[in-house]
Amino acid sequence: METQQKVPGTQSTEYWLAVADIFSQAVTGELIGMANFASLTDIIQDTEEMIEAVEHAYSERGHAIGFLAMARKYELKVNINLQGTYWKGIRESFLRWAGKKDYAACILIQEIMLESFAVSMYQEVGQAMNGEIGELFLQISQEEESHLHHSIEFLRVALEQDPKGFEQKVYEVHQDCMTILSELAGKSDARGHCGVCYGDCVKHSLHHVGLDIVSLRGHALNLYMKSLDKIGIPGEKSLQWIASLPV
Amino acid sequence: MDFALIGHQECWENINRFMQALRGEEAKKISLDEIKEIYPWIPPRTVFRVKVTSLYSRKQIKGVYIDSFIPPDHLKPAFLRSNLHRVQEAAAYASREKAKIAALGGFTSIVLEGNILALQTDTYPVFTTGNTLTVAFICKGVERACQYKGVNPRQASLLIIGSTGDIGSGCLHYFAKKFQKILLCAQHSVSLNTQREAISSVAENVMASTNANDLIPLADIIICAASVGTPQFDLSKSRSNVIVCDAGYPKNIDFSPALNKSPYLFYGGMGRVQGGIESEPDLPKAFYQHPLPHIVHGCLLEAIVLALEERYEPYSSGRGNIRVEKIEEIYRLAQKHHIVLAPFFNAQGLLSDA
Repeated sequence: METQQKVPGTQSTEYWLAVADIFSQAVTGELIGMANFASLTDIIQDTEEMIEAVEHAYSERGHAIGFLAMARKYELKVNINLQGTYWKGIRESFLRWAGKKDYAACILIQEIMLESFAVSMYQEVGQAMNGEIGELFLQISQEEESHLHHSIEFLRVALEQDPKGFEQKVYEVHQDCMTILSELAGKSDARGHCGVCYGDCVKHSLHHVGLDIVSLRGHALNLYMKSLDKIGIPGEKSLQWIASLPV
Repeated sequence: MDFALIGHQECWENINRFMQALRGEEAKKISLDEIKEIYPWIPPRTVFRVKVTSLYSRKQIKGVYIDSFIPPDHLKPAFLRSNLHRVQEAAAYASREKAKIAALGGFTSIVLEGNILALQTDTYPVFTTGNTLTVAFICKGVERACQYKGVNPRQASLLIIGSTGDIGSGCLHYFAKKFQKILLCAQHSVSLNTQREAISSVAENVMASTNANDLIPLADIIICAASVGTPQFDLSKSRSNVIVCDAGYPKNIDFSPALNKSPYLFYGGMGRVQGGIESEPDLPKAFYQHPLPHIVHGCLLEAIVLALEERYEPYSSGRGNIRVEKIEEIYRLAQKHHIVLAPFFNAQGLLSDA
């Protein structure tokens, strides 16, 4: 994919190309989140929870719009591709569990797995980048964190009600979705080009913005494991699951 | 939960085996470089659950091993803050497991400078550094090695490397009156001189140096208990028949037999649970390369002994507080439950006295 990016300020072309790709990944991820929350309305019976899911979808929409507006301000071209290899796989995984009307599994994917990655990655990006772009990522990271906390109590109760059964479910959802997320954040492109970044994948040019994929992935997995701890998944189980992920 | 054992791995080779075992035999092996990119991000957590049976009371107690996931190359002062945070997280994990008592193995107690009260909460668990039983196993091991090799302590010189540390000073208290000459080595000269002056009132012949190489040639017996991230001392200038107890974690001695003069070197501070230890999942065999099963570091065993005795108390705490009476007491309690001095071994396997 060829592109011409306007290069504002004193940063290098490579810097802004990496920033554009980061925005592309962030906006695509937010739109996947928006679609996921919207899909939840089909399987929720409780009216208040349904309203909450719509509010969350609206919140993800707001994040996507915020990222897009900031990218446009800096004249960065954002590539939105919900059919990109990894994001499409994550959406399909969510829809499989939604098709089974498994609300807890859907919450695990959207609010634990995806949000763990969003919170930690936005935070690192925010800390690495100066000015209003960094501030925006930090602000959205904080908002996503509230989604993460919101779901933990619900999932903890579900685990207490059926420890063995729920633990097995978390494992199956982990295998289904975290494998794809782990590949998305892996050092190599296990499934080929992501279909979102321009040219080569941004994970190979993150050093231009003071980041690296090992640290981004590490922080995300760290937060994910801590979230599983808070739900009550035994540490030795989540350890084994994480150790078995593709690298 | 009766007890928790908090620890860390001493080298990447162990971690490599451990991570491959976690992935299972069917999974694709990952390289050590890839492991080094994953391991440091893992938050402290329970790695396996254990059951220990006392052959004395037939009582079975349950516990967990919690790894702090401190990478071996972070075992140095530059990482003090992050290591401290990890120990606090591991302690919180022990609390989450509702362990009644928790031992702090290896560097996890060192980063606290013995101040385990900083971890104490209103509820679970009570913390112990476990250093008293480690000292007991070191001292009893040295005595046994002397007996085996026909060394009379009254005519021999004992060198303690890391003498001002909690374990080193515990060994000094135990041996101060038993050897003809005491040689002390520690990194910081002020505390070393203070220690030398204090012990001179009890021991007749005391020498001290911050340089181990000055003292190694003078020693008949060497106890290594220094807090070092990697092996730092070599025995190329040691006496040919020297007895060496390397109780460091990570190990202190750069042990390359080709360079040395066949020392009698064993890894000290270790005990063996004769009643056996059951682990679920069975990971210890993947990362502990001991020549016999059920061998565990003394510091961790101290929590097990105290749990078997239902004595949930900070038996070892602070720095420099280990005295002979408590060494003898914890050793006697361990023996009672058939937790005994481990057979002598080193990297090459069991030794002839094993």
